[in-house]
Amino acid sequence: MLQVRDGAGETLGVLFDRYQTPLFNFYSKLTGDRALSEDLVQEVFLRILKYRQSYRPGTPFRAWIYQIARNARVDHFRRFPRQTALEPEMLPPVVPTDSAQEQQEVELLQRALGQLPEEKREILLLCRFQELKYEEIASLLGCELNTVRTRIHRALQELRKAFDQLAQGTMLKKAEAARNIPPQRGRHEV
Amino acid sequence: MKCEQIAELLPDYLQGSLSPGQCHTVEAHLEQCADCSEEAALWKKLSLLPVDQPGPESRARFEAMLQAYQASHSNQPADDSHWRKRASVWNWNVFHWLRSPVGAIAWSAALLAIGVFTGLRLAGPKPPSLDLAAMQSELASMKQLVVLSMLQQQSASARLEGVTWSTRDQQLDPQVLSALLHTLRYDASVDVRLAALDALSRHGRQPQVHKAILDSLQQQSPLVQVALIDLLLEWRDPDAARRLQALQQVPDLNPTVRQRVEWAKSKLN
Repeated sequence: MLQVRDGAGETLGVLFDRYQTPLFNFYSKLTGDRALSEDLVQEVFLRILKYRQSYRPGTPFRAWIYQIARNARVDHFRRFPRQTALEPEMLPPVVPTDSAQEQQEVELLQRALGQLPEEKREILLLCRFQELKYEEIASLLGCELNTVRTRIHRALQELRKAFDQLAQGTMLKKAEAARNIPPQRGRHEV
Repeated sequence: MKCEQIAELLPDYLQGSLSPGQCHTVEAHLEQCADCSEEAALWKKLSLLPVDQPGPESRARFEAMLQAYQASHSNQPADDSHWRKRASVWNWNVFHWLRSPVGAIAWSAALLAIGVFTGLRLAGPKPPSLDLAAMQSELASMKQLVVLSMLQQQSASARLEGVTWSTRDQQLDPQVLSALLHTLRYDASVDVRLAALDALSRHGRQPQVHKAILDSLQQQSPLVQVALIDLLLEWRDPDAARRLQALQQVPDLNPTVRQRVEWAKSKLN
């Protein structure tokens, strides 16, 4: 990063390769919009170029880049107020995994995450997917370390509630479907 | 231990930053408490969520942005001291640097500067005023600032005016370009989007602008989509067939747009 700050533009390419996927995931899981997420990732790197002199050596770089990423998103939604809320349909398709149960759980988890208020979704993404340390998140959100712990715990509690409700709903639907399907034997007899 | 006390330790436990003793306490509680252990299990399950990959064109867009940025900054006077610094490095290093894209840009800028300087010295007795150059660059940055702030206005007519302002300059600043592309995709008013398209299409000869415009084909406004399809034909884009095909596969595409896609495809063949 120091090289980027001192003007070596090529080094930014290395940073881009390292951070584009995590940043893209941060945005896509937060907004559910792939095209917008790609735009915002580009915007982050343009801002890194422009504001590179503001990076102070010795401070955590990840926290700095995520600060830029959050600002870019806030600026975007200030200019273009959201027309639609995050719809589960907008989320990326779930990649088939080994077991059907695991696949279903991932799907439910994505929907449950989509139901959380944005600040709770964001904090879970920051610590679980972006793997930021709690100290980094505290400096990013401008709050105390203990507040971060409490917020993460609350977000996790809420996620569990949403997940449980969705899981129950799916089970009910399955039971319903099972009742409506005529017994297999009957069809062969006809 | 009660759940509230565990709740304070749980986030650190989940990140693996507890001491072995505290870790043991939490684990003992998790074995007994279904609620807390479910939370811990859910935390682990979060790692199952798939990692989305950005599109393949993302890297190319980044390169284009970087080049545009460097090109717009390489003709500033700061280059001189940079050069002197570089001159003290080993010859091989200098040679290597000159071959890199940044070096190439700096080279071209330096050659251009020498050319302009010699030309002006030969043509007129007076050297060009530095004040004039400074004023010109200040004016350009003022214009850019005006456009950017107008594009952020609440009122659609002010944004429309901002788009019109952006067409006054022959050169497209990367920041203005990115703001116009944003407007083209997300502006609440269709008129503003169409005006942005008009302003951007003037710079359609630049490959990165050309591509970025056509990338916004998949968007909310049918009117803009129709205009983009027409542009696709007008520019004889080599990728037109693929883009139309992709657009046609969008499930809830507006019927008029669909009709236009059909028409465009028949024109292509």
